[in-house]
Amino acid sequence: MTDQARILVVDDEPQLTRVLRTGLKSRGYDVRAAADGLAGFEAFNDWHPDLVITDLAMPNVDGLELCRRLRAISQVPIIVLSAKGEEKTKVEALDLGADDYVTKPFGIDELLARVRASLRRASAPATNEATETTLDSGDFHVDLETREITVHDKSIHLTPKEFDLLVYFIKHSGKVLTHRTLLAALWGGNYVEQNEYLRVFVGNLRKKIEPDASSPRYILTEPWIGYRFDPGEH
Amino acid sequence: MRRSVLDQRWTGYVAAALSVGALTVLLKTVSSHVNAATVSLALLLNVLFIATRWGSLPALAASILAMLCFNFFFLPPFGTFEIAATDNWIALLAFLITAVTAGQLSASAKRRAEEAESGRREIERLYAELRDAFERASHAEALRQSEKLKSALLDAVTHDLRTPLTSIKASITTLLDEVRGRVDSEPRVALDADLKVEMMEVIDEESDRLSRFINGLIELARIEAGELQLRRRLGAVDEIISAALSRAEPITRNHRVELEIEKELPGVRVDERAVSEVVYTLVDNAAKYSPKGSTIRIIARRSGNELMEMGVEDEGPGIAFDLRERVFDKFFRATRDGDVRSREPTGTGMGLAIAKGIVEAHDGKIWIESGRNGKGTRVLFTLPIGDDEVIDESRYTAATVEIQ
Repeated sequence: MTDQARILVVDDEPQLTRVLRTGLKSRGYDVRAAADGLAGFEAFNDWHPDLVITDLAMPNVDGLELCRRLRAISQVPIIVLSAKGEEKTKVEALDLGADDYVTKPFGIDELLARVRASLRRASAPATNEATETTLDSGDFHVDLETREITVHDKSIHLTPKEFDLLVYFIKHSGKVLTHRTLLAALWGGNYVEQNEYLRVFVGNLRKKIEPDASSPRYILTEPWIGYRFDPGEH
Repeated sequence: MRRSVLDQRWTGYVAAALSVGALTVLLKTVSSHVNAATVSLALLLNVLFIATRWGSLPALAASILAMLCFNFFFLPPFGTFEIAATDNWIALLAFLITAVTAGQLSASAKRRAEEAESGRREIERLYAELRDAFERASHAEALRQSEKLKSALLDAVTHDLRTPLTSIKASITTLLDEVRGRVDSEPRVALDADLKVEMMEVIDEESDRLSRFINGLIELARIEAGELQLRRRLGAVDEIISAALSRAEPITRNHRVELEIEKELPGVRVDERAVSEVVYTLVDNAAKYSPKGSTIRIIARRSGNELMEMGVEDEGPGIAFDLRERVFDKFFRATRDGDVRSREPTGTGMGLAIAKGIVEAHDGKIWIESGRNGKGTRVLFTLPIGDDEVIDESRYTAATVEIQ
């Protein structure tokens, strides 16, 4: 990291922003804090951070509304701080475009790992979707024109839907994808409640790409929320 | 069951036979004093009686039997069913028709009355059933409401426990990382001494906050269970206030504190420590929710002959009318509604609930008004004035010893 990555922390709990500011600064990040969604949104417009960490329950403009407003103007990675019991809100935030979440109380390592992953994803060279014909990510190599996929240089045969699903996963590696997001992306808006659809396809896909489908290492389950794709280290 | 129905049916006929027989015997013995008209009326009356008691068929039997007896015993020639005079034939026929008709009419009246009665009973039964069903439903609703309330309280409690825990966990893991020197593809952890101290301060403060919260929970539970143990004795208002103020000194440093205590106030029969806690809570709130440099006033005055009125007033933003009751609910915080923006840690949401519990345990009342000129917040409460006795030095000492 040549430049210090800029992180905006939005939380109404002053003690926690104090700790996060210190914890993140000690890892070389440039940190600013805001006490609610409104102040957070203003700070974002003024400072253009590389990543936003936000609490969900806040006075005035809450975390959900902040996600909505940020997504309307930016693709900045967003990590949501949520608590047990806030699952519904957390899924809503992810549906609205948040990238990841950390459940309170959390160790600083866990948060830092999510921060690194989100920043890495965001700084990955932007692929030009129109001209790009191959995808390379971790153990996966995809030829988008011939629709061929290899994992660890081993060719795999996929149905068209399985292929689309895997490509979507690869393109969104590391990000938590809710059931709703995946269904809407692959089957369209009418299917967003059909979780079992998705389960069947993910199950089939795992049988074909995972070394051990019963303990998957690429397509990871986020219980009650959705899936996260880890392409593995090549 | 079937046998008794059968019995009941036969009872009507037996009663018809017996009553007609008995009446005939009675009338026969006094036959020299009664004429045929009297006899027929008496027998008719008997038919009516049978009809109202046992219904139409026994009444019919009674009518026929009465007609036969009337003919046999009272229409000449006596002792036979023959009838000499034509007008007696007509009388007998008239008797029979009257008896049967009257019997059937009164039997049907009885049936209708019975039907009406059973209808009324059915309605009563349905009403009772409906009422029971309604009671069960409203009980279930109340239970559901209380479950909802419980889960809302649980949410509030877990939030208040988790928030400091989150800060503690994040601080301690930051410190641990530094101690262990872990460097997973990160720039080397660099915590200077100041930052370390800051992390430890957070841990210290948040542990205190957790501890305060848990103490509050325990006190609240005690109040709600009616187990608040008051050590009531005669105490002086100014002492109670000065004890609260000296405890609140660190939090009121940035405010001006004014006392408005009436002269020559009588003593109050209260638990001094508990009441001092109430005053402290109110001062704490006033300091928390009013701007630095503003004035906090402590009030104590007589209110009538039996009550003492005490309170705390601030120059903060005040509390909206519709929230003035709710702020005494446990875990309710006016600031959550965005009334006040404060960078200071907010309270536990239990202070006023506990204060209310303490005041009410003293048979007092607590309420909120606007401060002077309609601005700020004034929280007032009443306490009973102590007996008009002089503070007894020896008892005073004894009580003090007891507290120690």
